[in-house]
Amino acid sequence: MKTEKKNVTKNTVASEKQQSLLFLILVFLIISFLILDIFLGSVSIKASDVIKALFNNTDSNFATIILKFRLPKAFTALIVGIALSISGLQMQTVFRNPMAGPDVLGISSGASLGVAFVILGFSANLSPDRINEFGNWILAIAAWAGAGAVMILIMFISTRVKDIMTILILGIMLSSGISAIVTIMQYFSNESMLKAYVIWTMGSLGNLTSSQLNVLLVSVFVGMVLSLISAKMLNALLLGENYASSIGLNVKFSRIVIFSCTSILTGSVTAFCGPIGFIGIAMPHIARILFKTSDHKILVPGTILTGGAVMLASDIISQLPGSETVLPLNAVTSLIGIPIVIWVILRNRKYSGIF
Amino acid sequence: MLLPPLSASAKKGELIAVIGKNGIGKSTLLRTIAGLQPSLGGEILYSGKNIAEFSKNDLAQNMGYLSTETVKVSNMSVYDLVSLGRFPHTNWIGKIDNENHSAILNALEKTAMTDFSDRYVSELSDGERQRAMIARIVAQDTGVMIMDEPTAYLDIGSKYEILHLMHRLSQKSDKTIIFSTHDLHMAISQSDKIWLILDDKLIEGAPEDLLIEGTFDHLFDSSPVKFDSERGTFSFKREERASVSLTGEGLMRHWTEMAIHRAGFSISEEKGFPGIVVPSGNSDHWQLITADTTQNFCSIYELICGLIKENIRSI
Repeated sequence: MKTEKKNVTKNTVASEKQQSLLFLILVFLIISFLILDIFLGSVSIKASDVIKALFNNTDSNFATIILKFRLPKAFTALIVGIALSISGLQMQTVFRNPMAGPDVLGISSGASLGVAFVILGFSANLSPDRINEFGNWILAIAAWAGAGAVMILIMFISTRVKDIMTILILGIMLSSGISAIVTIMQYFSNESMLKAYVIWTMGSLGNLTSSQLNVLLVSVFVGMVLSLISAKMLNALLLGENYASSIGLNVKFSRIVIFSCTSILTGSVTAFCGPIGFIGIAMPHIARILFKTSDHKILVPGTILTGGAVMLASDIISQLPGSETVLPLNAVTSLIGIPIVIWVILRNRKYSGIF
Repeated sequence: MLLPPLSASAKKGELIAVIGKNGIGKSTLLRTIAGLQPSLGGEILYSGKNIAEFSKNDLAQNMGYLSTETVKVSNMSVYDLVSLGRFPHTNWIGKIDNENHSAILNALEKTAMTDFSDRYVSELSDGERQRAMIARIVAQDTGVMIMDEPTAYLDIGSKYEILHLMHRLSQKSDKTIIFSTHDLHMAISQSDKIWLILDDKLIEGAPEDLLIEGTFDHLFDSSPVKFDSERGTFSFKREERASVSLTGEGLMRHWTEMAIHRAGFSISEEKGFPGIVVPSGNSDHWQLITADTTQNFCSIYELICGLIKENIRSI
């Protein structure tokens, strides 16, 4: 059926029916992954015990593992996947660059610089696992500022340099430059500050305190709302600034909205979970392949769902269900994301018009 | 880029060609009219109101813009592209309701793109893509369409197709279309009015007015190109080798004349040598008559070769 259709009308757009079906499938996947993520882990717990722990207020060890560890971790995975994927989509459209993403262009590094300033610059008391709600907001805001600063810098560069490769290389330079600054800061900081920072850079989904999860939840929710509002602007920006402006888009305003959104999303995730690679760059491409559209009214929710589902799946894989080992999450997301990125590059060697 | 002081006007439903040398500021002028960049001085009035006073959205409802910048977005269907023209007409989320949908279908129909609705923009030919881009402006439903070299990079067939489309839009849908072009011949034959930008001024008028006044001659003062006001075509300024007399009628005469001109000869009205007789009646040969010989040629190419040889010998 599929091949037959390909031969006849290779170029047809996915119908609305197909798209709604895809949305349903993705929602279903997210729910099942969420459940799986809670049920599976390095400590094997019987399904009945998991349900008991979730719905009865028991005080067993299992309940502690489920409620204090697995449940927040699963939700963190979902939120992180959503946040990184939206920021990837927005950056790819705004920079009109299929290879743009929070980690590639140095936005994540910018966020970690913000975090480094807070942890290394002020006090070891602000280390992520010891600070209160207020401190967490400071950490998040510092990360937003760092991400935003790098984003503005990249924007400034990309108005002068149009070549995608050049911008990517400059993004890598920027990342290296930022890590150099962080290294210098580490050199001058005291032992306890350094320890706090190193622990942060190892960050994973599981180390979040409930107050950190709250901050993450609120910021990603704000980011999601902003991203849905920005769908119309993103559509216009697909045509480039000139055309976008000619059909009535206030380009400056839209940039402020989209950049704040991306900074908030990338910044918050980086602040609490450390840099997580390749989800942001790869997920929008999967959404484009699935939904076969360039319309952000579909792509934004599509990317949100795809990102959430894949991040949950990565988290499940990283726990290696059935064994007691846990793989570093960053390795899993890279192994999932890199083939997609390579495929995107190979599919369109001219680097143009991938999205 | 500094344009000379200028003033020009456009009426509803007019197709206006903007002509000028490369780098004289055609694009700047068009971008300024479209409100994409602030004017460096002076004002642009639309329906008696300065465009600087329009809100971004109001302006977009009145002015559409097209440039040579190509849109490279894969996964974008023609329908999606055209629906972007509805941007200033949709709500904050960009919902395509029935009204917008019918405007899009209407635009597709007017540009003969209905069959392409579900095709991806990245898979269209240059001409089709340009038509889709124009459909986008039609959907935008603006009174004025600004097009910066809409026919650049297109092959001859698509060029005329696009121009024909523009012509139809201006006449049938009452759109004012202001477009820049380097194709003077096309501009003269199709547009209602020409804005000719020269180094020191802008001249506007019907193409024929400008032809009669000999205005186009100034366009290429310094270059070896010469505009032939009688024919409406260009030719190179050449040193003339000699004059030739020509006898004959019709199409054969027309093209023989063209070839003789190109070879650098002028045609004199008086009978004299060398003389050329164009095929007519039962003769299908070109005759080249000199003072002492008569030669026959069976193509214009051979005739011209013979003429040049004869000319060299006589010197």
